[in-house]
Amino acid sequence: MSSAVVTEGLTKRYGRRTALSDCTLDVPAGHVVGLVGPNGAGKSTLLQMICGLLQPTAGRLTVLGGEPISGSPRLGFVAQDTPVYAGLTVEDHLRLGAHLNPSWDDQLAHDRTERLDLDPGQKAGKLSGGQRAQLALTLAVAKRPDLLLLDEPVAALDPLARREFLQGLMEYVAESGTSVVMSSHLVADLERVCDYLIVLVKSRVRVTGEVEELLASHHRITGGRIDPAALGPGREVIVARHTDVQSTLVVRSTAPIEDPAFTVDGIDLEDLVLAYMTEAGPSGRDRVLEKQR
Amino acid sequence: MIWLTWRQFRTQAVIGVAVTVAVGVLFVATRGSLLQLARDMGYQGCTTGCDELADQFLRRISGTNYGRLQQNGSILMFVLPALIGLFWGAPLVARELEAGTHRLVWNQTVSRDRWLAVKLGLIGLLAVAIAGLLSWAITAWASPIDRAGNWLMPATFSVRGVVPIGYAAFAFVAGVTVGMLMRRTVPAMAVTLVVVASAMALSILFLRPNLAAHSTYQGQLTTDKVGGISLSPSDPARRIRVEAEAPVRHAWVLSNDVTTSTGAPWAGPYDPAKCGPNAPGERLGCAQWIASQNLQQKVIYLGPEKFWPLQWRELGVFLTISALLATFCFWWIRRRVA
Repeated sequence: MSSAVVTEGLTKRYGRRTALSDCTLDVPAGHVVGLVGPNGAGKSTLLQMICGLLQPTAGRLTVLGGEPISGSPRLGFVAQDTPVYAGLTVEDHLRLGAHLNPSWDDQLAHDRTERLDLDPGQKAGKLSGGQRAQLALTLAVAKRPDLLLLDEPVAALDPLARREFLQGLMEYVAESGTSVVMSSHLVADLERVCDYLIVLVKSRVRVTGEVEELLASHHRITGGRIDPAALGPGREVIVARHTDVQSTLVVRSTAPIEDPAFTVDGIDLEDLVLAYMTEAGPSGRDRVLEKQR
Repeated sequence: MIWLTWRQFRTQAVIGVAVTVAVGVLFVATRGSLLQLARDMGYQGCTTGCDELADQFLRRISGTNYGRLQQNGSILMFVLPALIGLFWGAPLVARELEAGTHRLVWNQTVSRDRWLAVKLGLIGLLAVAIAGLLSWAITAWASPIDRAGNWLMPATFSVRGVVPIGYAAFAFVAGVTVGMLMRRTVPAMAVTLVVVASAMALSILFLRPNLAAHSTYQGQLTTDKVGGISLSPSDPARRIRVEAEAPVRHAWVLSNDVTTSTGAPWAGPYDPAKCGPNAPGERLGCAQWIASQNLQQKVIYLGPEKFWPLQWRELGVFLTISALLATFCFWWIRRRVA
């Protein structure tokens, strides 16, 4: 499996504030990778270093087998809050893309805006949040990048616009096979589109892997009071919650758990991610909850 | 990149060019009649008594439309650098950072260096061209007035010739730099205004007087060399301050001292019968009395022949500072801005 992005001890400091510290991860190519973590985990900082907007303070960073370069034709980036030029029209943005990118796919760009019903003469400042995000995505994909980075692209969108945006993204990925890394603090957004997941909490990778594999290997166990140590080898307890009479555990285990004393259920992605964030400590969990929009 | 620069800047560019053309046409169109007036009064092309004719010409001009044109032209040229710095320079990078659109444009296939180079280059060139054209039109128009008056005095010198080009380039690059550092458009505009105004003031006060070798004149203070006289009738010490005139017309006097024959500074006391409000001889009598005191004058000045050397040197200094600031911008945008 080739890697789209490899980091080793990657650190970014702004003065005394540390935005990302000692982050080591490997993002595989050919996947739609969800980068999930509470706000403040360093997701934006990481993505901006990958696309060359920010310089790392320390550590190593390899993007598509080379140094990250700002203005690389191989990278597409949709920044947080999907900025576009308020005073320029939709058509102006497409011309901007055509002028600034040698690899520009004008057909793709125009097809997309047409399908999305974006009025070419409309000023971008007058677009709705969803339309703005679609325009920003169009600019990023029409340069035909090998790696597409999206920094919380749907965070500010209403549910319908969210779905439309992600649908558009999926259509493009299915057609082009581009590697995608998309960050979000909401698992629900990623669940629909991602086939690979990286959970980042306080700059640390808590869990990483293909979504299907993760779902298959994690279980929720409920029953009378369970002693986590009694589960046996090869079973990692991610999080345990106990009341006087009952215990609920999230357990990682490749082998199936068959014990009549417990109820064993599957777990959905959101609970899985929350389990790992909870494991990171109470503060990690609070931040998830308080920041959920 | 050139297309994008034009697309983002075309409104400001059109306004700038339109104002330049309108003002330029106004001055070029009225130049002929102003010259005709100078010719009619015998000042233009005079061979004898030119100084007197020049003074007559200036008196004739003042208060007329020509006088107003001259004043408003000067005001325009004084505020032009500030306007360029405020509205063209400061928002250039600050607005992108404020709206986050730098993340959009720097992720197209264009390096930050190229982005900045095209923006700085094209808009800077337009700023310099506008300042140059306006200054050329106004300098040509005002040449009869300037020759009659004093074109080395700061109020005139700063708005003539080539120095406005230097101010415009500096103001633009300074605005860009401030905007890049502050990352907020409106505060950056305020700071740019302060920076540009202080740079021009500091240049007049400290830089320009030192850009050319001073001339020094020393000699007996004669009646015709007594310039300004100031005294206070109620002062019991009867102090008087005399300003000596430079030996050449149209000089920029940097300092003048009136001393006694032994070299000590002289400040009176004056004779109330000769000087002051009750003296019968008025100003001339006072000047004659001062001249009879056997005083020496020492005047340090820049003569009118220094006009163009000073212009080119001041332009050089401002262009050099602009180039240094631009270099800093490239360094900063590569390392610190994102």
